[in-house]
Amino acid sequence: MKYSVMLAAVGILGAGTAVAQQPIKIGVLYPLTGGGAVYGVPALAGHQLAIEELNAKGGIMGRKVESIERDDKLNPASASSTMKELITKDKVDIVLGGLSSAVGLAMSEVSKQEKVVYIATIPKTIQMTTDKLHKYVFRTASNTDFEGDTMAMLAGKNKLSKICHLELDYAYGNDLEVGILKALPKHAPNAKIVLTLKPKLGATDFNPFIPQVMAAGCDGVLSGLWGPHFVSWVKQAAPLGFFNKIKWISGGEIGSHEIAGELKGEYPDNVISNAYELWYAGNDPSHKEFQARLAKKLNTQETPQWAALGYIGVMYAAAAMEKAKSTDPDKVSAALEGLTIGTPVGKLTIDAKTHQANIGQFWGPMVKKPDRAYRMMEPAEYIQPK
Amino acid sequence: MTLTMFTLNAFYGLALAMNMFIIASGLNLIFGVLRVINFAHGMFYMFGAYITFTVAKSWGAPFFVGVLAAAAALGLIAFAIERLLLRHLYDREHLMQLLFTFALVLLMSDAAKMIWGTDQYSVGYPPGLGGAINLGFVVLPQYQLFLCAIGPLIAVAMWLLVDRTRWGRVVRAATQDREMLAALGVNVPMVYAAVFTIGSALAGVGGALAAPRIALVPGMDATIINECFIIVIIGGLGNLWGSFLGALAFGFVVQFGTVLAPNWQDVLPYLLMLVVLLIRPWGLLGRPETN
Repeated sequence: MKYSVMLAAVGILGAGTAVAQQPIKIGVLYPLTGGGAVYGVPALAGHQLAIEELNAKGGIMGRKVESIERDDKLNPASASSTMKELITKDKVDIVLGGLSSAVGLAMSEVSKQEKVVYIATIPKTIQMTTDKLHKYVFRTASNTDFEGDTMAMLAGKNKLSKICHLELDYAYGNDLEVGILKALPKHAPNAKIVLTLKPKLGATDFNPFIPQVMAAGCDGVLSGLWGPHFVSWVKQAAPLGFFNKIKWISGGEIGSHEIAGELKGEYPDNVISNAYELWYAGNDPSHKEFQARLAKKLNTQETPQWAALGYIGVMYAAAAMEKAKSTDPDKVSAALEGLTIGTPVGKLTIDAKTHQANIGQFWGPMVKKPDRAYRMMEPAEYIQPK
Repeated sequence: MTLTMFTLNAFYGLALAMNMFIIASGLNLIFGVLRVINFAHGMFYMFGAYITFTVAKSWGAPFFVGVLAAAAALGLIAFAIERLLLRHLYDREHLMQLLFTFALVLLMSDAAKMIWGTDQYSVGYPPGLGGAINLGFVVLPQYQLFLCAIGPLIAVAMWLLVDRTRWGRVVRAATQDREMLAALGVNVPMVYAAVFTIGSALAGVGGALAAPRIALVPGMDATIINECFIIVIIGGLGNLWGSFLGALAFGFVVQFGTVLAPNWQDVLPYLLMLVVLLIRPWGLLGRPETN
């Protein structure tokens, strides 16, 4: 009896001192294996850079920050169970990350059930900040409505009249299609969509689609084919002279250096696309220094764009906790609403109602450079929601 | 569908079929002789593509040196795996073999991550095969034409090897009764090792030949292994010309099916397998199991 009382007392004392020094735990999920790792791994590098910098400056509210990192495997079911484990077993104070829109929706659902704040740093589906919005979910990535609006604007600017529309058949592609169709009458009233094709997510063989687009006689393509989808399309379509006459206006960040640097001379003509961040261009004085730190961490001058998204997510989590002076999810959620912070891509504000940050993207044509082996976006215009 | 479109689609279906046949024929050969269902075959395919990338792009060697390097490397890896590990499992239950090849998938995917990281890669077309040929009513890309030629070549080479050589007779005998074969003085374990090596090298060649027309990313092994199984199953397990036929059916169904019924693109290969299995449960050219 006495013994157990003593034990309990020790336990309480121990708990008391532990609370004072306990680190703040930030849980993060990115795809670190399989097809999504191309983006998840650099995003995590940016996340880690932000955590290192926070700790070097004394952490959040004077407490050290611990980052607990997990693989979401690009799979909603797996992301959901891993996130639950992070919350119940590791007792994380906040969860960041996600890449695919399907994973983002699954993580948002867990955040709602468990009442833990989730900041979506890459998933773009508009549903997260409209129909499926709740108190604990926030987004620091762009979204399909804004991306669609910009693409429609570019279709108008480039005077497209007959458009072929390509989207991948899953949450992101379908929502981006809605975003484009909503904005097209406003920005390009004379444009007509003559053909819509939806290859499946993960498709590597686009030969069933390429001849159809070439036969449709469109002067431009609006495309949501990202990463490897775009690369495989280029590989299969370019030998036919596909890109000679057709303007390719694309979302999905195929204007990023990751794609341009890999395709090099194979990157086709007539592409206009976007990127969250470009190592060679910035819209904010702080970008140069951020890029230099990232280059040092990754040991390459030509840094990937995804790191910035992982980085901004941590910055927002830290700023919200400092503002709330607490890690309590309700207080952190309240603090995030309307919160403005400075980031490597300029000042961002999270809308108090929609929980969406007004992050923009660089857009521009991908042009050849005489002194480089790869194409660069030039001019790169930062387009941000008003 | 116009004549131009029909020709194009038939041609693309054929090119896809030939690329798939090269990969699936290796899986089929291994199953036919060793009776092992090798889940790691897709991983061998991915390694073939990545090795070609390293040799042809990073080191700047000609593309076809990369293809040979991929075949040699996969052959070596497979030989080591068979001699050191797999050979201990032939007399165990199928479940053990399945678990083993599945473990290989996990190990190799981590190894790939350590060697190549998680970046996305691309391999350029070999010189002279990156353009297209204009036939007047239709324009055909050269590289796909090349695939259409190389597929049947490999099929015939395999047929000659297995059906027309003494070594091939030994291999066929091994599928029938390996105890008897051993009693006759044939080194059966080396036959098994050679078959596993050749089958895996074919996966490497398939990956190498696919490399110029697709993006190389981690996870590219996942879909290919399903598709290979479909081809081998509809063709008849263990039958070379069955796999050839299976690959043709797969190529045409996927190409024409995706054009005509795009909403069904995900399930088309599985539908094809279902229909074939309903009519001929032992596959197009397979034989019913008799025990």
